[in-house]
Amino acid sequence: MLPLPRHQTQQGYLTHLTLLGVAVVTLLLSSGCKRESKVDIATREKILLLGNGAEPKALDPHLVSSTGDSNILRAMFEGLVTNHPSDDTIHEPGVAERWESNEDFSEWRFFLRKNAKWSNGDPVTAHDFVYSYNRILHPEMAGPYSSMLYFLKNGEKFNQGKIKDFAEVGVKAVNDFELLCTLESPTPFFPDVVKHTTWLPVHQPTIEKYGGMTDTFTDWQKPGNSVSNGPFELTDWRINAYVKVRRNPHYWDAENVKPNGINFYPIDNAFTEEKAFRNGLLHASYILPANLIPLYREREDPALRMEPYNGVYFYRCNTNQPPTDNADFRRALAYAINRETIVNFITKGNQQPAFGFTPPTKGGYVPPEVVSYDPEKARAFLKKAGYESGADVPEFTVIFNTSDDHKSIAVSIQDMWKKTLGIENVKIENQEWKVYMATVDEMRYDVSRLAWIGDYVDPTTFLGMWRTGDSNNRTGWGNSDFDRLYKESFFISEPKERYATLQEAESILLEELPILPVYWYTRVYLLHPDVENWNPLLLDNHPYKHIDLKAKAGGDGK
Amino acid sequence: MKPELNIRTEEIEKGSSLGRDAWLRLKKNSLAMVSLWFFIAVTLICYLGPLLPGVPDPNVTHPDLQSMAPFSEGTSMEGQEVYYLLGSDHLGRDIFSRILYGGRVSLAVGFLATAVSLTIGVIYGAVAGFLGGRTDSFMMRIVDILYALPFMIVVIILTTYFGNNLWLLFVCIGAVEWLTMARIVRGQVNSLKNQEFVEAARSLGLSNWRIISRHLIPNTIGPVIVYTTLTVPAVMRLEAILSFLGLGVQPPDASWGSLIKEGADRMASDPGLLIYPAIVFGLTLFSLNFLGDGLRDALDPKSSKD
Repeated sequence: MLPLPRHQTQQGYLTHLTLLGVAVVTLLLSSGCKRESKVDIATREKILLLGNGAEPKALDPHLVSSTGDSNILRAMFEGLVTNHPSDDTIHEPGVAERWESNEDFSEWRFFLRKNAKWSNGDPVTAHDFVYSYNRILHPEMAGPYSSMLYFLKNGEKFNQGKIKDFAEVGVKAVNDFELLCTLESPTPFFPDVVKHTTWLPVHQPTIEKYGGMTDTFTDWQKPGNSVSNGPFELTDWRINAYVKVRRNPHYWDAENVKPNGINFYPIDNAFTEEKAFRNGLLHASYILPANLIPLYREREDPALRMEPYNGVYFYRCNTNQPPTDNADFRRALAYAINRETIVNFITKGNQQPAFGFTPPTKGGYVPPEVVSYDPEKARAFLKKAGYESGADVPEFTVIFNTSDDHKSIAVSIQDMWKKTLGIENVKIENQEWKVYMATVDEMRYDVSRLAWIGDYVDPTTFLGMWRTGDSNNRTGWGNSDFDRLYKESFFISEPKERYATLQEAESILLEELPILPVYWYTRVYLLHPDVENWNPLLLDNHPYKHIDLKAKAGGDGK
Repeated sequence: MKPELNIRTEEIEKGSSLGRDAWLRLKKNSLAMVSLWFFIAVTLICYLGPLLPGVPDPNVTHPDLQSMAPFSEGTSMEGQEVYYLLGSDHLGRDIFSRILYGGRVSLAVGFLATAVSLTIGVIYGAVAGFLGGRTDSFMMRIVDILYALPFMIVVIILTTYFGNNLWLLFVCIGAVEWLTMARIVRGQVNSLKNQEFVEAARSLGLSNWRIISRHLIPNTIGPVIVYTTLTVPAVMRLEAILSFLGLGVQPPDASWGSLIKEGADRMASDPGLLIYPAIVFGLTLFSLNFLGDGLRDALDPKSSKD
């Protein structure tokens, strides 16, 4: 007898059969069971159930950099200034009751409310903020997002170890309830900046109970240990299952906090999350896969939300090596991308084709209109770059992090380059997020995809990264005029004039095109009709304390 | 009486080769024969079909003509007339032609990786079985150790180390798949090496290598062929799994596995994307498995039931 490898011959049918069986059972179950869903119960108990992307890396404001993590932190902590429920440009007083600046916006004074308390009852003082800024900027802390605090005078130097004494950094507690921030350069939008997660305070005694100031991932952030000053406090955290926060009784505005708590669910597969929403497990999903948008649109599902979002999707080019070191070649690539097609047929979520880099804001900054789809121009630039036809272009590779939507966009752009420019030798490669990050950090790429979500509503959060040698630049591109104009803009207090200078800087970026802008984001997600006071926000930082839950009559959300 | 006897003797003298016997027995197994012809047809269509005029480029996108129904035609925004035999996918690519081109990759992976595993496995097994003793134990313990390694992880490590190169992927899969083959061949050789014809060869003073290559390996050919037909679908399935995980062929190229993966994600909005490649892939796997079963019965009459 021949030793037949059983596992390799029979498993085939078995797996197929099992899959079929599972599919049939799921179909049967999904049709027609109508019980009170988890969402209905949660609405009654006023607990908000939110899909939140991936498992949080930490619940420490000085260690996180993803939007999902900062959602949880904004529920637990409160900074000097907080977000308004419907308008990104309005500054809601947080721990600071009021604030003022000097003439040229380089010195800001924050006056803290006296009744702000930590969740253990301790008062929140200006010293807590100084301690927190010292902690995140400390070189031994290596906070991934510490560059957000480079606005403070000497913040960058202290972070890089060039200055040892934190007293030289531009932040001081004048007294217990007055904080003075001295900035590196004039920053009229500073209140926008301090809304960011990195500027949240932490409780010194708690941190030092479980380790030193700069020790990371200690037990202080665990439920039971964690002490926070926001509307909610951490009560439960199970890895890969949920993070639960509940009402903080010591919060200064506790009577105006609408929900009793929030459950954050880390669901990183968008398809799974959509199913969870449909089955009444979530009040709001984190995202929605592009290919499900038409389905929701067709049946005019009220849950579907598509809102402008302060972000840009683009390709960046490695300007250190051929063929992308040639500006004319990059222009040819940029003008050959048909953005309308991508937005209308691939992403499908009302995204806007990008004609510049910074997303335009209504009544605010609008980028210069430079990039467009123009096959004639693209072909002319290709000639100018020294290629008779696209077939002469040496092989180059577009890399992206693994995602079906990124793949569809890459495949269609590759085909557009082939159709309009005749470039045959474009390869596409997907890499896992961590591999992709390493590849990009080491500049081992030709063209790579990236999205940039603004940290606050101001063009500098988009343009700053293109300064020569900026840690987020990673294209090898640099332009002294751009750097100069960007820097100059900080010394202009008149907004119109300031925007004009930034536009001039951006037009240099768009002339040289180290990046190929594709589209401006919209947030596409699902929201249950029971959720009230959840308004479209450019930064998507919803202040959870204002969000109310009311069961709609007869509505089960479908 | 006599003439009759003469005829019989001639027939008996003429004899029948193992191959011919096996072929006759296989022919009687109608399921295996249908599978054989089906497999040949699929292979021919995949490799020769795209050469025909009118089969569109599988990678040309027409985003404005996405998710078209089978047997539909349309004019793209570039003014190009397109006819979709099996409909189009989410980027307006022709599903039929993607299945044909994907089949080329999947079948090539199947054959190439099997060839790699065949070469390594047969030689390794034959050498171990023939030399015997300590060498044999040592060589087979290596196989045991490799067997213990989680096989998917080894392939994933190899592909991440060597990069996403399709040819390397074939070799990687082959390099992982040879273990069972080595065991089968070793067992066969072990039982053959004490038989008279090997002793005869030895007494003629032939070198070890010549005995292995000319006398032992040809005698293991039956089980090897059978196992090969079963390795091909196993390897194709492995490629499909790797493509499913995003480690196989790189976009925009497709294999059946990657087509099924793309289709599975869009099952709700676009079932055709999953159904057509899955049917073709499933039928091919079935046919190879049936063919393998048939060949086993044909080549090893002792184990067949009739």
